[in-house]
Amino acid sequence: MNIAIKEFIGHWHPVVVHLPIGILLLSVVLMWAARKEKTEGMRKAISISLLLGMISALLACITGYMLSISDDYDKDLAGWHLWMGISVAVTSALLYLGHMRGMYQRWHLPMGILLCVLLAITGHLGGTLTHGSGYLTKSLFAENDEVYVRKPLPNVQEAMVYQDVVQPLLQSKCYSCHNANKKKGGLQMDKPELLMKGGKNGEVIIAGRAEESEMIRRLLLPREDEDHMPPKEKPQPTENDIVLLHWWINSGAPFDKKVKDLEQPEKIKPLLLALESEPEEVMLQAEIPQEPVDKANKEAVQKLRAKGVVVLPVAQNSHYLVANFVTAHHFSDADMQLLLPLKMQLIWLKLGGTKVGDSGMAVVGELNRLMRLQLEHTRITDAGLSSLKSLKDLRYLNLVGTRVTASGVQQLKDLQKLQSVYLYQTHVSKSDYPALQQLFPKAHIDSGGYEVPILESDTTEVKYVPKK
Amino acid sequence: MTQKELHNDRLAEEAKRSALGYYTRRHFLRESAMGLGALALGSLIGSCGSNSSSANQVFDAANPLAPKLPPFPGKARAVIYLHMAGAPSQLELFDYKPELMKLDGLDCPQSLLEGKRFAFIRGVPKMLGPQAVFRRRGQSGAWVSDHLPHFATIADEVSFLKAVTTDQFNHAPAQLLMHTGSPRLGRPSIGSWITYGLGSENQNLPGFVVLTSGGKNPDAGKSVWGSGFLPSVYQGVQCRSEGDPVLFIFDPEGMSRDLRKASIDAINEVNRLQYAEYGDPEILSRIAQYEMAYRMQISVPEVMNINDEPDYIHAMYGTKSGKACFANNVLLARKLVEKGVRFVQLFDWGWDSHGTDPNLAIDYGFINKCRQVDKAMTALILDLKQRGLLEETLVVWGGEFGRTPMMENREGKQNPFKGRDHHVEAFTMWMAGGGIRKGASYGETDEIGYSAISGKVSAWDIQATILNQLGFDHEQFTYQFQGRPFRLTDVAGRPITEIQS
Repeated sequence: MNIAIKEFIGHWHPVVVHLPIGILLLSVVLMWAARKEKTEGMRKAISISLLLGMISALLACITGYMLSISDDYDKDLAGWHLWMGISVAVTSALLYLGHMRGMYQRWHLPMGILLCVLLAITGHLGGTLTHGSGYLTKSLFAENDEVYVRKPLPNVQEAMVYQDVVQPLLQSKCYSCHNANKKKGGLQMDKPELLMKGGKNGEVIIAGRAEESEMIRRLLLPREDEDHMPPKEKPQPTENDIVLLHWWINSGAPFDKKVKDLEQPEKIKPLLLALESEPEEVMLQAEIPQEPVDKANKEAVQKLRAKGVVVLPVAQNSHYLVANFVTAHHFSDADMQLLLPLKMQLIWLKLGGTKVGDSGMAVVGELNRLMRLQLEHTRITDAGLSSLKSLKDLRYLNLVGTRVTASGVQQLKDLQKLQSVYLYQTHVSKSDYPALQQLFPKAHIDSGGYEVPILESDTTEVKYVPKK
Repeated sequence: MTQKELHNDRLAEEAKRSALGYYTRRHFLRESAMGLGALALGSLIGSCGSNSSSANQVFDAANPLAPKLPPFPGKARAVIYLHMAGAPSQLELFDYKPELMKLDGLDCPQSLLEGKRFAFIRGVPKMLGPQAVFRRRGQSGAWVSDHLPHFATIADEVSFLKAVTTDQFNHAPAQLLMHTGSPRLGRPSIGSWITYGLGSENQNLPGFVVLTSGGKNPDAGKSVWGSGFLPSVYQGVQCRSEGDPVLFIFDPEGMSRDLRKASIDAINEVNRLQYAEYGDPEILSRIAQYEMAYRMQISVPEVMNINDEPDYIHAMYGTKSGKACFANNVLLARKLVEKGVRFVQLFDWGWDSHGTDPNLAIDYGFINKCRQVDKAMTALILDLKQRGLLEETLVVWGGEFGRTPMMENREGKQNPFKGRDHHVEAFTMWMAGGGIRKGASYGETDEIGYSAISGKVSAWDIQATILNQLGFDHEQFTYQFQGRPFRLTDVAGRPITEIQS
């Protein structure tokens, strides 16, 4: 038979395969339910469902066999799956015959249960083939998530070039489709010898000739190109990753050398050095709490809006709120109580430029989910800051143009999640900054007061003087 | 009944009477036929329309600029876009090419000219080496030339995009592409999309403000801040940094504030009657616009007045009192963003360094342009930073294309001064703040800065990045028009994750 036709028939396997599972399970349930006299009527349905189940199991075996010969699958696993599938078909056939002829009545139910077990095993093997091993339980073990996180290398020059530099890249971006169980395009990449052997279309790595290597060529194709690897919907390697792979192949694609043994062009050095630090996490979105929260009290929001405060969720489908007082300059300490009902939802609070002062901070101190707090150009002082000690989640604090001092800010030393504190035009003196920075080692403490020097060129022009 | 109500009533009555006066038999017949047609058309269009836009992005005509929420929590809240209209030379500012110096004065190789089109270069031009002294700056080691001595000190605050490309080599279409996602007229600009999507945090100010300097509007005209097919309320409001910030913002002599209020109320009353009759949402828009204009009469002169800033801030930006200049506009931009304006678009004209006269020469006028913007843009970054605003304000700097590594020979003849032609294959832009990485650089050009060899980005990628920083997925953010959803990035674009922090 033509290979294309075989493949076509094979591709029906994922459709057909669900029928025997459902139908045969149903027939066993019927057999069990129809044991009693009372439910005898059901027996009539058993034979027809067994027949249909048997036929569909047979079809699943045939289509499955067709699919398996168009390679791409782990022979071992696929073999087991095939034989288990055949055993399902045979068992169902026996059961059907036994049922029709009324023979060995006693054994019918046990055989039915055996059939269920076989079905479960076959189904699970099939799932493992398509989705990879551990797919079913993956979500239970969050640590073993598919996302592979690179660990920093203590000393990159002493590291093994393949194990420590190249393999982690391949592991995070290629192995999910090119492993022992799933060999897309006949290519398995997790073993050095198989990686060098290549896939259906030949070698993917030509040692020393990166430009001619199929792997590099495909990595560099435009993302929309059908041949681009990894497929466009999968996580993509960064440009630096590709440069490193390119360098490794051009260096002869060695598996047993250390980084220092290879020649390192200028361009490669900073990339290698970067492997010594933690991988940088790219945060595409602003940080908001992970845990869900109830919707804010509508009335409380309305009351604030009536005061001119802009209260909005931080994003669609989120109940966390941002309150912005840019058009509520008259908001004062007396109004602060209005914020309390929104205590669970408020995460960004922009009180800048309002009439709020120290006594209002007692209320702010209770809004302990706050992540960003803007108090610039308000009347608060150190006394007010002491109320903010409870804001454990605070990341950003803007105190520009207030009368706070260094000792006031020091009271917040336990807020270790702080990432930035703005102290321009406050009473914190220049000499206090080193101590403050020590107190918040991870935060950016901004003193402001930047100056742009006056240069002659700021106010002069270059003039063209025509030659005589 | 108060005086005011009487006045309103009278106006409304008058409007009604004059409307009735037009109501003839012919009118009646025409309207019935039209009405039937409109009914049919309405149901036709209604059934074609899709409900793809999310509830948040439904246009609320009565309150078009109400603050809205983005689909996901964005890192930036506002954008200041500094557009150097005319296109500054990347080869004299950021893209250092020592190899190009070696080719200075030699004929351009044929391989760079074959199959290419230039705006003015004809025949075989000479190569032109970098006309500036370059140094590595800050910890990031970014190359910045001595033309920008102030900016050089803050190179660690920004992310450079070294391989921006475009496909338009004339100013107007290239500017349109940069700001509207299409080189042709009719699409909404980035600022319009953003105010449409996010509204304005401050209901007393426009959400999208445009400021120009350099003595000329951008070549593409006002379309670069137009609202295209979006409701017209989202177009950029052009303000001036000298004289009245908005033309006719102040009441004429003899017109008191109360009288102004009374007349606006009366006009709105008439408009409301009109709306009750026709149900056209644009009428509600108009009512909202009148009300906002009334509020702006108070708030705008206050915010737009940079004179109340202290002297040291003026010195920092290098402003010029009473003149329309880039520095004044930049300071104003900071003030506007502080007050909740969403998008401030600056255009500074005069960067078109062809070498046809001293003002457009790489070694004269170009240097003066650099001096005009250097201090102010540096001060902007530092001032936003010290106010804690840089984290949530995205600053974008760039032109509409780049300039050639060849010296321009207009129509085959050497230009009188050193100049470069328009170049589409590679130029440099930078972004800062609003969740952009500090001290990063993405993209690379070849040894002479002719074309991008890695990290190529397009105008759509830049637009996708801007939208992303504000909390939008550029592929999901659409507006239904002419029976299909439109988006800013058309069918392209990718947020440049390489420069995100």
